[in-house]
Amino acid sequence: MVFKMARGPADPEVKAKVLEYLAKVQKAKSRDVAVAIGATKSDVDNAVKELTAEDLVEYLYITTTFICLKGKVQTPD
Amino acid sequence: MTEKKTPLLDELETGKWPSFVTEIKRAAVKSEAAGELLQVLERSYAERRGHWKHGGIVGVRGYGGGVIGRYVDEPQTYPNVAEFHTIRLLQPSGWFYNTKTLRTVCDIWEKHGSGLTNMHGSTGDIILLGCKTDQIQPIFDEFSEAGFDLGGSGSCLRTPNCCVGPGRCEHACYDTLEACYNVTNEFMDELHRPMWPYKSKIKFSGCANDCTSSIARSDCSVIGTWRDTLRIDQDAVKEYVANKFDIQEMVCDKCPTKCLSFNAETQELSVVGEDCTRCMHCINMMPKAIRAGKEKGATILIGGKSTIVQSAFMSWVIVPFMKMETEDDFEPFKDLMRRIWEWWDEHGKSRERIGETIYRLGMTKFLQGIEVEPVPQMVFRPRANPYVFWNQDDLDRSGTALDGSKL
Amino acid sequence: MAVLDQGPPHYKKMLPPIVQENYGQWKYHEIPSPGVLKHVAESGATLYSVRVGTPRLVSIDFIRDVCVIADEYCDGFLRWTTRNNIEFLVSDDAKLNPLLEKLEAEGLSVGGTGRSISNIVHTQGWVHCHTPATDASGVVKAVMDDLYEYFNTMKLPAKLKMGLACCLNMCGAAHCSDIAIVGVHRTPPRINHDVIRKGTEIPSLVASCPTGAIRPDPKNKSVIVNEDKCMYCGNCYTMSPGMEIYDPKNDGIAILIGGKTSNARSAPSFSRMVIPFLPNTAPRWPETTEAIRKIIELWIANARKGERVGEWVERIGWEKFFSLAELPFSDMLIDDYIFSRETFRTSASFKY
Repeated sequence: MVFKMARGPADPEVKAKVLEYLAKVQKAKSRDVAVAIGATKSDVDNAVKELTAEDLVEYLYITTTFICLKGKVQTPD
Repeated sequence: MTEKKTPLLDELETGKWPSFVTEIKRAAVKSEAAGELLQVLERSYAERRGHWKHGGIVGVRGYGGGVIGRYVDEPQTYPNVAEFHTIRLLQPSGWFYNTKTLRTVCDIWEKHGSGLTNMHGSTGDIILLGCKTDQIQPIFDEFSEAGFDLGGSGSCLRTPNCCVGPGRCEHACYDTLEACYNVTNEFMDELHRPMWPYKSKIKFSGCANDCTSSIARSDCSVIGTWRDTLRIDQDAVKEYVANKFDIQEMVCDKCPTKCLSFNAETQELSVVGEDCTRCMHCINMMPKAIRAGKEKGATILIGGKSTIVQSAFMSWVIVPFMKMETEDDFEPFKDLMRRIWEWWDEHGKSRERIGETIYRLGMTKFLQGIEVEPVPQMVFRPRANPYVFWNQDDLDRSGTALDGSKL
Repeated sequence: MAVLDQGPPHYKKMLPPIVQENYGQWKYHEIPSPGVLKHVAESGATLYSVRVGTPRLVSIDFIRDVCVIADEYCDGFLRWTTRNNIEFLVSDDAKLNPLLEKLEAEGLSVGGTGRSISNIVHTQGWVHCHTPATDASGVVKAVMDDLYEYFNTMKLPAKLKMGLACCLNMCGAAHCSDIAIVGVHRTPPRINHDVIRKGTEIPSLVASCPTGAIRPDPKNKSVIVNEDKCMYCGNCYTMSPGMEIYDPKNDGIAILIGGKTSNARSAPSFSRMVIPFLPNTAPRWPETTEAIRKIIELWIANARKGERVGEWVERIGWEKFFSLAELPFSDMLIDDYIFSRETFRTSASFKY
């Protein structure tokens, strides 16, 4: 997968912490994740960008956009 | 496909205005989904209710938006539109096209989707209306190959758009087409990976006529303006007089600041530059004789949105005048936007547009947060109450000791 | 391989040569006939734009048809406007009249410039929205059929911009239109507990309500709606099909007038409600088309030259408008939402 405008690689430690935190909750806004794991919001956003490309995390739109572990939250079908 | 009757919709094929029903029927010749859409719609007309549901995560790998999941509420009855998702594509600035590009859009969409489109959505994207879940990634891959990209959806920077600008308008005070293209490319992460409390929109209008309605429907309105005095060509004024155009009635009397005066004897039009608010009325009326000044740029306004939740807001002035130059890559504007979004991202509640966040916390906090100095152009009039929240710095500066000395 | 984040196609590849050559050098424009704009550049170059109305919802065959026309008369270049019109860009004036004849022959509608009604900006409605209170395309079609004589002529007092939003979320710029048609739900969602129990995430459903009107009902494994707090936005239906917001007997249309977004003469302004409810009489909405025609004819008869709907009403006063229009005034037209006070008359001078 090629990002035309990449922002530099994400911090692997932040990525691990994001996954760890998302395992504990249903879904979250990335700001809440940042506060919970003590990282900056932009580092979390960058980590999430890579994690979604790796198919581990997905964006979830419930009148606002959340993130969650891939497949964790069922939406109406 | 079996031919089914649509008597109610057929009534919308009469009359002079072009018919969307005819368009759906044209698509239905090639697409069973479009044919079934017609059936669902006929039922909506009979029952006076919609039959679509939202939901289901649908998307493209690496993106957090650009595709909107749509499902019919009776999938057994209408299997071909059981999944009928929307895809948003970023449009070229100003919606200019060559026919080769348009045909590419049609060919890819014919292969994978219903063949129905909106040219364009209210935000500005090319809207492709109706495809199945398993077609989304192939559709993206083909469009990507052909040089297209997804638009925004969800809590992200929505697809920016702009007016026709210098492409075909004498009023453009900055290059709206380039600004839109450049800024869209700069903020690809913000557009494709929703990370904010809610959606945020930018619209670029080249002058105060605001043909993109940016002030009403974008969180950030970039409206072209000028700093010096408008320019009048007296020979052209005389031409208008010769053509029996009533300058006094149509221009001077309608000028909101009465800064224009017309001398019927000398047939000269003059302006008191410092009284002019640059509303565009006189320029609209006499484009051959009056034009903007030479020192051009844009006014930046923040907060516009529609009614949900806290009422509709119109954007308000944050920066009265900013240079919008291609040469410096629009850097002052981008820098301002980064500060504004960072403040909102930090302070905004979930599902709160930036105008609502500013309103809840106060303009003062916002201006301090983004490090912008207050100026009178930001308000129609100052506050009518004495409830100022003084901070220690202000107290230290303005307080005096009992002997009259500075503290 | 698919490239991510490559952004929109570059606009420069989409500009006809005459635009590239005269980019930013346009001097003035005229409207030689309804639907035709003539832009003249400093260089003397002349570009004609022929504006054609579209239903916005168009098939790829329609797009291919207009491509054929653009290839023949416009060297393969055209554009769309903010109001879903097409503009054929003609740089060779010898091709202007043949193009107009071609468009006439093809049954395409030329107009929408200057003192005319332009295309109605609208939403998806029953065609594709999940919370519509009315259709969008059908109402627009009915209204534009009725007002067609004002699309292909320029005999109105000023330009007329209309918008339609198919529910109270008011997508599109309906809230600042000269005349706005707004779909209204008037009843809170009906809860289908079985559907909710079957597959709804209760916390997400509760969170989806912008006014906090929904709370969990653990005993029932469902939710309760505080009907006084509900503003009928339908966000909850987004989260669960068990929250039925549609109501065929009570859904309908409200009319708001007097908004504008241009800064010319007066500041941009919101549209104001003048008719709180009209029924959803599909397929041609006669009550709506008639109400709008009446307002427009009143405006034509009473406005001064150059006055947009809102400027006219503000000059004569809203109280005068209601008496001229013979529209009933009711408590439904007095704002009781968040920013209501600014609409109350704090002056002892008014008309009857």
